[in-house]
Amino acid sequence: MDLSGDTLVLVFLTTGFTVGFGHCIGMCGPIVISMSLNLTAGNTFWPQVLYHTGRVATYSLLGGIMGVTGSFAMVTSGIASIQKGVLVFSGILIIFMGVMMSGRLTKLACFQSGTGVQTFFAKAYGSLTGLKPTLAYFPLGLVLGLLPCGPVYTVLIASARAGMEAPDGYSGFIKGMVLMLAFGLGTVPALFAVGRLAGAGWFKKRQLLYKAGSVIMVGVGIYFVIKGIRY
Amino acid sequence: MKVCTCLVSSIFVLMFSVYSAGAAFASDGKTEGIINCDIQNQPCVRQVAGGRITFDIRPKPVKAMADLTFEVKAEGVNLSGPPVIDLGMPGMKMGPNQVKLKMTDTGLYQGTGIIVRCPSGRTLWQATVHLPGIGDAEFVFDVVYD
Repeated sequence: MDLSGDTLVLVFLTTGFTVGFGHCIGMCGPIVISMSLNLTAGNTFWPQVLYHTGRVATYSLLGGIMGVTGSFAMVTSGIASIQKGVLVFSGILIIFMGVMMSGRLTKLACFQSGTGVQTFFAKAYGSLTGLKPTLAYFPLGLVLGLLPCGPVYTVLIASARAGMEAPDGYSGFIKGMVLMLAFGLGTVPALFAVGRLAGAGWFKKRQLLYKAGSVIMVGVGIYFVIKGIRY
Repeated sequence: MKVCTCLVSSIFVLMFSVYSAGAAFASDGKTEGIINCDIQNQPCVRQVAGGRITFDIRPKPVKAMADLTFEVKAEGVNLSGPPVIDLGMPGMKMGPNQVKLKMTDTGLYQGTGIIVRCPSGRTLWQATVHLPGIGDAEFVFDVVYD
């Protein structure tokens, strides 16, 4: 496969699509699933649209920055600590959602109504996963778009190369941005399908499966936190 | 429609459970046996088409997320064009990451590229060197994550 010329956008759109159904489901899948499971059935569409819009917007911006600088190593070393933090944050988020799903959280004293902690967590949780405001999923997508990810790095390398070959900084920004936009859009169908399936009303009505899902979520969240600390 | 949704959801939950368990407990130990190139210590050599190909990456140690120089030396073989290297992880789709080499001396080709870091922690990488007019040579090696 020749990675050059005008076909590059199509190549990375296709890459996003194929990688989405494999790699991305493993990496971003737990986040999308935990979000969907915590939403009420029938209300998973717009939160997911906003989440993926935020995620793809971050990808596009990173691609643009790569295109301007033409240096993958320099930019990634600059954001490495942020990515580490985002990985830990996403793990904590998944654990939190898993515990909420299990129904255990409400039994803890600190979450009983009237306490400051309860109010804080209720607001935080409501902002991230609740019905109001649904718009909270957009900034969540923006932040989690920074998750360290092998395929994302691969396309960022191509964006940096495209920037190096561009005649000026502006063209480099556009080229890098378009490549990452194409890749990001390519990943959406797989993650969207996963989110929709996880959010299916039938699954939520099966309490045993739902509880099992919450345990898996907590396990995956711990795995994310450990990976984040080691990253 | 409901039956279909039930079926798909059940399959999905099962697949995700298996995948999560696999991801959580995956170990490099299972893949150590397929390493065929000690790139951290020396160039790697393959016999191809009656000649030999020497593959090297510099600087050492070979680290992920850093600019690297890839080198292919062809001896006793006639390539119809400069080699191209595809970088990837065995058993994991990472997207196309190519290094295009240019001839810097007779039979010597060099190019720059980057091996990315996989958050899974796996350090096993594979370089597939496409040799025009000859075929492919695969090198599986470990990289260093800082």
